[in-house]
Amino acid sequence: MDSGVREEAARWSASGVGYERPYFAFLLNTPALLIIVLLAGYPIVYSAWISLHKFSLKRPRVFDFVGLANYRQILESEEFWSALWITLEFTALVVVLVVVLGLAIALLLNRDFPGRNIVRTLILLPWAIPPVVNGLMWQWSYDSKVGALNGLLVSLGLISEYRGWLSYPLSALLALVCADVWNAMPLAVVLLLAALQRIPVELYDAARVDGAGPLQLFSYVTFPWLAQPLLIVLILQTLSAIRAFDVIYVLTAGGPGTATTTLTWKTFLTTFDSLDFGLGNAYAYTVSIITLGLALVYFRILYRRGDFEA
Amino acid sequence: MTARWIPEAPTFSERASKLLLMLGGLLVTIYILAPFSWLVLTSFMHEQDALSVPTQWIPANPTLSNYLTFFDPSGTRAVVGSRAAEQTLPSMVNSLIAAGGTAVLNVIFGALAGYSLARITFRGRGVLLAVYLGSRMLPGIALIVPLYLTIRAYGLLDHLSALIITYLTFTLPFTIWLLKNYFQAIPRSLEEAALVDGCNWWQMFWHILLPAAAPGLVAAAMFAFMTAWNDYLFAVILTSTIASKTMPVVVAGFATDVTTERTLMAASGVLAVIPPLVFAFAFQRLIVQGLTSGAVKD
Repeated sequence: MDSGVREEAARWSASGVGYERPYFAFLLNTPALLIIVLLAGYPIVYSAWISLHKFSLKRPRVFDFVGLANYRQILESEEFWSALWITLEFTALVVVLVVVLGLAIALLLNRDFPGRNIVRTLILLPWAIPPVVNGLMWQWSYDSKVGALNGLLVSLGLISEYRGWLSYPLSALLALVCADVWNAMPLAVVLLLAALQRIPVELYDAARVDGAGPLQLFSYVTFPWLAQPLLIVLILQTLSAIRAFDVIYVLTAGGPGTATTTLTWKTFLTTFDSLDFGLGNAYAYTVSIITLGLALVYFRILYRRGDFEA
Repeated sequence: MTARWIPEAPTFSERASKLLLMLGGLLVTIYILAPFSWLVLTSFMHEQDALSVPTQWIPANPTLSNYLTFFDPSGTRAVVGSRAAEQTLPSMVNSLIAAGGTAVLNVIFGALAGYSLARITFRGRGVLLAVYLGSRMLPGIALIVPLYLTIRAYGLLDHLSALIITYLTFTLPFTIWLLKNYFQAIPRSLEEAALVDGCNWWQMFWHILLPAAAPGLVAAAMFAFMTAWNDYLFAVILTSTIASKTMPVVVAGFATDVTTERTLMAASGVLAVIPPLVFAFAFQRLIVQGLTSGAVKD
């Protein structure tokens, strides 16, 4: 019976559509590849080319090759280093909070308690909310004259008068971080909870028999199973924090001053506010290089697991 | 552990820990619901109630007038920011077309490519996988200028088709990855049996394989829909009039215009949340599976 099927499969292969027909495989990939090459591959190369030119929409006729001058201008400008530093602060805060909060909630939802399934469902709510609406929601909560945060803190007696949370550099950055964490935390919870559920229960039983306490259970049983998913959450979250745009646009627009001007926001400003496409693309490329470096680390993790080729 | 016929009464520490867990669950629930319900409650308030100090948490005189304004923007109420109010519903239609179109094309192209990567051994498979995975990592901001110039050159600025094709670029890699995993989980014998019964490849693909991978297709379509629905960066650059403006563009317009009524802004935000929220809760299990297998291949 088995050999019969194999024979049929071989006949099928021979008839032109089989498991070992490379041109058929490429045919199946054509539409997807065409779109990705045309709308991602070509632009990324074009973008590099533009970044080597003096090119501004204010003077669209000028397209002079200037080599790496745009990059030199970036590296020599204070604005770049300030934006890089703010990106680092923002990313580090978001990533740490998402990982800590995500892990805590995942551990909680892995335990059995009444109402657990409701919370497991609700956790998807922030994930489903478009970043623009997320920004709008928090903007309304942080409002200096009527906002809910002010109302809450005053009625709890924690502050005596309303404050403009988005008008001071430090509180604006923290407000932005909190808004982004709320939106991003569910993905971490989902990934970490899935990882927790894959841990065989017998491991815990065996460790308990050996006399392990809660702390030892976590560090010797749970954590080794979580190390890789945690690393993946860390990298995915870092990538998406570097890319954060919508929430900044709605909530702070990079301000006050440049207190929340990250590299992504700086790229946007240079390109679409100053209309300096040459310099803007050099900024964009700098962001890409940082991102792709991190992406390579992500590949390595997947690859080491042996999943990449699977 | 051995089975016991008579369950022991829970000890004090067991009950205490259960109580602590429930308390934790409650805190998480508040953290998730508080900011969002504030938005929803505001959308049912009159403007002067929303602006009252001390804060009015529950609308004293709940009203639907904010939502009704979208249907009749030039009507009875003199609305500040009425242009955005006029554009809210048309932009919702644009968003539905852009996101729906992205989802459908995405699943068709993604299934074809995903199948080849799951089943066929060919030179270049590894390269293709790397191209797909790598293109998922590119930051949108890096592509926006050349995309803008290209789309302008083709005269497609302010067309929904430009948005759909742009969103496909960002959703296809994830879909292909996801569907590859789904197809790999379907036994080859299913395909081989169809072949023995005299199907050709297309018949087998449409009538046997795709139905078997239905959950994966639904999940992929949903992720694509939500990515397209949520996008702001590309929509704000590639659209300029209500011919193609999507909902996030109009909603962000509300949010950055200080003269807009807050209650109206809240209502537009709530409308923008409804489709993704409905999908998230209706397909909860599929989403969780998809997110997991998209980031970490099981």
